[in-house]
Amino acid sequence: MKNLLFITIALISFSGISQTPYQKGMQKALDLWGENKANEAANLFERIAIAEPIEWLPPFYVSYITTIQSFGEKDAAKLKTQMDKAMVFLKEAKAISKENSELLILEALWHTVWVAYDGATYGMKYGGKVTMLYQEAVNLAPNNPRVLLNNAEWNIGSAKFFGTSIEPFCNDVKRAIELFKDFKPEGEFYPKGGLDRAKNILEENCK
Amino acid sequence: MRLTKLPILLLLIFCFSGFSAISQTTISGIVTENNGNPILGANVYLEGTYDGTSTNENGTFSFETSETGVQTLVVSFLSFENYSKVADISQLNNLSIILREDVNSLETVVINAGSFEASDNSKVSVLKPLDVVTTASALGDFVGALQTLPGTTTVAEDGRLFVRGGDADETQIFIDGIRVFTPYTPSTNNSPTRGRYSPFLFDGITFSTGGYSAEYGQALSSVLLLKTIDEPIQEKTEIAIMSVGLGLGNTQKWEKSSISINAAYINLAPYIALFPDRNDWEKPFEAMSGETVFRRKFENGLLKVYAAFDATNFELTQEDIDFPEGIHYQLKNYNFYSNTSYSGILAKDWKVFGGASYTHANTEVELIEDDINDAENSGHFKLKFRKHFSNRFKMSFGAEQFLTDFTEDFKGDNINASYAYQNNISGLFTEADIILSRNVAFKLGLRGEYSNLFEEFTLSPRASFAFKTSKNSQLSVAYGDFYQQPNSEVLKFAQDLQAQKTQHYILNYQFTADNRIFRAELYRKNYTNLVTYDTENPIFSSEFDSEGDGYAQGIDLFWRDNKSIDNIDYWLSYSYLDTEREYQNYPIAATPSFANTHNLSVVAKYWIEDWKSQIGFSYLFGSGRTYTNPNEDGFLQEKTKNYNSISLNWAYLISPQKILYVSVNNALGFSNINGYQYSRTPDANGHFDRRALLPAADQFFFVGFFWTISDDETDNQLDKL
Repeated sequence: MKNLLFITIALISFSGISQTPYQKGMQKALDLWGENKANEAANLFERIAIAEPIEWLPPFYVSYITTIQSFGEKDAAKLKTQMDKAMVFLKEAKAISKENSELLILEALWHTVWVAYDGATYGMKYGGKVTMLYQEAVNLAPNNPRVLLNNAEWNIGSAKFFGTSIEPFCNDVKRAIELFKDFKPEGEFYPKGGLDRAKNILEENCK
Repeated sequence: MRLTKLPILLLLIFCFSGFSAISQTTISGIVTENNGNPILGANVYLEGTYDGTSTNENGTFSFETSETGVQTLVVSFLSFENYSKVADISQLNNLSIILREDVNSLETVVINAGSFEASDNSKVSVLKPLDVVTTASALGDFVGALQTLPGTTTVAEDGRLFVRGGDADETQIFIDGIRVFTPYTPSTNNSPTRGRYSPFLFDGITFSTGGYSAEYGQALSSVLLLKTIDEPIQEKTEIAIMSVGLGLGNTQKWEKSSISINAAYINLAPYIALFPDRNDWEKPFEAMSGETVFRRKFENGLLKVYAAFDATNFELTQEDIDFPEGIHYQLKNYNFYSNTSYSGILAKDWKVFGGASYTHANTEVELIEDDINDAENSGHFKLKFRKHFSNRFKMSFGAEQFLTDFTEDFKGDNINASYAYQNNISGLFTEADIILSRNVAFKLGLRGEYSNLFEEFTLSPRASFAFKTSKNSQLSVAYGDFYQQPNSEVLKFAQDLQAQKTQHYILNYQFTADNRIFRAELYRKNYTNLVTYDTENPIFSSEFDSEGDGYAQGIDLFWRDNKSIDNIDYWLSYSYLDTEREYQNYPIAATPSFANTHNLSVVAKYWIEDWKSQIGFSYLFGSGRTYTNPNEDGFLQEKTKNYNSISLNWAYLISPQKILYVSVNNALGFSNINGYQYSRTPDANGHFDRRALLPAADQFFFVGFFWTISDDETDNQLDKL
């Protein structure tokens, strides 16, 4: 019995050692991101993306980090350079993984950066596109709280612009918060955050 | 017991010793810019491995690797070109790496002498796609919006583009790189024509007022390049109910392909019944049109098929000084245009573009008692290759063929005549784009054309150069030779001529910062080989020659600012033009009546959030145009009074998908005079009587309701207005 325990422990520690370079790399990159070292995290994700051309998550994270960093960028030249890079990696991820709700959310966010940068120019041009991407994501993953949340956030923004009621979208945010409680990402290293953001949005908009 | 543990222990020991047995190599160095500044945050790694790091604030990096042998070290950083070095791992330490700036950046100098762009992601863009349709004076016509740019001349009764002292025929229009032979709908001689094609099919417009690429030929003064939308965003149905007619559109989308169809019916009869104009209409303007675009994506390319058909007719009696009872004029026009193009990637760094267009135009005119029937069949074929050597050097070359077959049947009281000609032109072109750095760029091109009709070969060199003078400003210069055949009015009677020629010299300065743009452009244009004839109008018995010449020179200024005043976006254009030519039947060199000295336009848009409305304003000013007063000595010696017009529009978003749109052209009712017609014979006192050429109506009102039906319930037609 004791022996069995030992073997089990040994095997566990062994499997710890035998964690694949991919897993180690991804974990390290996520940790860097967690430590607010977004650039270094993006650089590591980029290295993994080049070394592992069949994994969609590394290019997804490069694109995701670059896109999130671009919100609020005012320098047109810098914004365009960053956004071009984000699009290159998004396309790479899309080529690897089809019908992926996370990639649809990211594509919608990418377009939202432009709308936020210059609403007069891009609101008309990309507004319909963003709405459509979220619709596709909802169709693919109707009970994914991350899809619900991002879609609701976009809808709240549009409703405020057109002066219509945001009530139904507040309900979506509430539903997302419920779903986050039992949310199991589809796989290892899949994005899973959003609960705090959902609470903030509810706090700020839906009283 | 103990023995069973042993293999595992051994295994563990083996594992650890195995790890330590692999030797680690240190890769290190420093990454800097050209000027020695360290680069922070560059990604340094061995390609295909996980080994790498980011540079620190001193630009230095250092990491360990267990790789051995020859490896590729890569350094990448935003807005710099990737660096890579292949070497044995032992050589990769204490490296000093200088990254080259990426010239594929908004900060790179842009060759823009002569050209205006309407697009989103370009620094040289002076208009946004929306502007084409939200400019108050434009009434949804893309040509109308371009007339608020410098370099154009106000010829209010014509509506076409007159660029830098050139007449309207000197501007050629291309859709997706393929020529449009008959771009304008016909109109009466006192009301402006419009572009045939609906503006919402296009998402990129480049308007060049000179010095354009060797890819484009058969244009003496200007080219207008329209690019159709690659992929519509979603399926939708659009309904337009307007004071002048109805419109209906539908878009369907599939995974790889999409189709858009539009139909419109325009009838001015109800409008003219309410607001009669100066024409004596028997059958007011009526037009039916349909357009369709089909797009299909392939693995490595995109196919587009565009087709448009329209039928126009009207009948009226036009005032004339020599015919007290007026001149009876009836017109029926049928026009079909189709354009097919494929663009794609051929192999690594090679792009191919192939396209063809076919135009069939038929115009039946009844003028007093004469019947004139024109038929034109034209085609254009083009094949172009582009090789991308690097971001700094690209080259393209291609070949094209223009075919035109024109016939005219004239049935008069005493004469029955037919005229016909075939005009086939073959062209070859090549062009190199060279970007030396973010501060210096060249474009060198050469175009050769052979005309079957004239049995003549022409060679046109084109060159432009741009230099960045500071972070936000740049200078460009351009030179080019341009050739164009005379138009059908001449070619139907005479084919023993030469291609008309212009030379352009352009100097452009541009300053862009923070949503403000200022441009100033100086130019000089020399005309040679212009067509001359010895009769009042070109007729079959005229003596034609290619001996005319002329010049145009001036300065164009443009200022746009959507930053200084909240919610207001405005632009100002001013053009000064000095031009004279001796051509057609001119006895001396003179300024033609379509060219005026000063042109000014002011366009402003004001977004009122609370009203969900956009209010638009535009003011156009043109100084007087020349005319000949036969009662005095001289030729084109007098000028009309100045032209003024203020237009207003209001777009109201009733709900996200319903828009109400109202516009008034010439809101203050300035009475403008386009010129004078003098009687051919003097009266008893030897005086020639005259009649002012007035616009059909001083003002024009438009009301429309636009409704979009789509699944997402947010898309609308605001971008059409």
